[in-house]
Amino acid sequence: MTPVSAAKWAGLAAILVVPALLGSGNYAYLVQAGGMIGLYMILALGLNFTMGYVGLFDLGYIAFFAAGAYGAAICGAYNVPLLIELPLTVAFAVLLRLGLGVSILRLRGDYLAIVTMGFGEITRLVINNLDSITNGPKGMEVPPLQLFSWTLSGNLGYYYLIAACVALGVIGSRRLEDSRVGRAWVAIREDETAARLSGISVNEHKLLAFTISAGFAAVAGMIFAHWIQFVTPESFVFWESILIVSMIVLGGMGSIYGVLLGALILGGVPQILQVFLAGSKWIDYRYFFFGVVLVVVVLFRPEGLWPHKRRQAELHEEAA
Amino acid sequence: MKTAGGGKGAPLLEVRQLSQHFGGLKALDGVDLDLSQGEIVSVIGPNGAGKTTFFNVMTGVYPGTEGAILFNGEAVRGLPSHEVIRRGIARTFQNIRLFSNMTALENVMVGRHCRTRNGLLAPLLRLPAYYEEERRIEAAAKDLLGFVGLLSFGNHLAKNLPYGDQRRLEIARALATEPKLIILDEPTAGMNPAECERLVELIRRIRDRGVTVLLIEHQMRVVMGISDRVVVLDYGVKIAEGKPLEVTKNPRVIEAYLGKECD
Repeated sequence: MTPVSAAKWAGLAAILVVPALLGSGNYAYLVQAGGMIGLYMILALGLNFTMGYVGLFDLGYIAFFAAGAYGAAICGAYNVPLLIELPLTVAFAVLLRLGLGVSILRLRGDYLAIVTMGFGEITRLVINNLDSITNGPKGMEVPPLQLFSWTLSGNLGYYYLIAACVALGVIGSRRLEDSRVGRAWVAIREDETAARLSGISVNEHKLLAFTISAGFAAVAGMIFAHWIQFVTPESFVFWESILIVSMIVLGGMGSIYGVLLGALILGGVPQILQVFLAGSKWIDYRYFFFGVVLVVVVLFRPEGLWPHKRRQAELHEEAA
Repeated sequence: MKTAGGGKGAPLLEVRQLSQHFGGLKALDGVDLDLSQGEIVSVIGPNGAGKTTFFNVMTGVYPGTEGAILFNGEAVRGLPSHEVIRRGIARTFQNIRLFSNMTALENVMVGRHCRTRNGLLAPLLRLPAYYEEERRIEAAAKDLLGFVGLLSFGNHLAKNLPYGDQRRLEIARALATEPKLIILDEPTAGMNPAECERLVELIRRIRDRGVTVLLIEHQMRVVMGISDRVVVLDYGVKIAEGKPLEVTKNPRVIEAYLGKECD
């Protein structure tokens, strides 16, 4: 076994075993932190389709996380079983995204960023004011995840569920990026006009990536709601959208492992700092550190911490 | 790779009274053009004559204001670009437009997009259809890289290739869409005489595959050497058309534009 693959297996084992060992000891908060980081990973992997592959800036992505969370909450309120809740919630988020995409994907660059930002805020305001359905700013209680008679509770259980979803997300992303559609996405990011004139239906492919992103966000939102068992509009502020965008920029646009690393750093560090700096006056500065890190990375490593490497093909002269 | 059938003489493209107006500016004004299968035709004219606009209308970048473009007897004016490409017209750009951060091979593989079909499911589940199609895409792309002489650079990022190679990679990507007509917008721009020579030879080989070639070209030596016919545009109007030598003797052409000496 090479050192690299040994390190990989050791890392994987640590991710799976360590949380179970932490139990209810002093470091139990790490399991919860790990779960939250995992949720950010799912979100970042999802947004990576829109932003990383196709290169569309989306500053309102958290709206679809909210759609997932409130989908779970509302389904919970009506005792909808999980097997119906899941497709229902994902379909809702995807259709919402599709509607948004159809109307705005003709916009480019800054304009798209501004419109999506507006959409994110509108979504939060709607949730905040739609008292009859969402219970407004008071929030909604959500039952834990239940499949038939089996109930998932406790941080550890959700941690593993989230880890499994991250793994699925990584596999799905890898398989799609190395495909005809995945190449078309990257081609659009690289040069939209050239992509169109190479025979790609640009609008359809943008829309496809855009909606896939919503699917990831909806699943993350559902898990979040069932885990925390409470949702309020406060969880879906503009800052969260920015944070996910930053994860992708920090890690490397279009790079699966870069995006995971970005989520680990930007999702994890504030939580760790919160614990270590608790009570000290530095706690108010934790986002300041983070701003500094981001600026440094963008200045000195604009392609991200772990940029994507293009696939290398075997080339030999007698190729058919 | 499949080549378009039929010999010389079959009408491939008929452009009738094609116009593109931008407000009061008539960038293209009532242009007619016929192309037969297997021809190499050059479009020349002074800067701003409407050459690139003409190519842009032909490939759906601009919708065109009036007139008709019949390709294989089918009206294609106003179709979205990817639909035009699917019908068998491919093009390259005056300013090279590659997918810079993709490898040379991937650039050509993207060109196979409109001739392949895999959606999301086959790659997600790694169905046999996925492997089968990917293998065919890759084989065709390698074949074309070999055709333009870039196979050994297949794994290089497009942006790292030398200028002349980028031009040829763009041609390979265009050929990957299986065109019946390829439109080359100033393919020799910025090339030295030796590179020019290789490109002229490449254009001939493209024609020998059965692909009709329409090109914008400034270097008169290239134009004279390979064109079956030459079309001269000036201020959006076709002012002359004919064999290369005839055209250069046409007084209207001489008046509008003497052509740049090839170095």
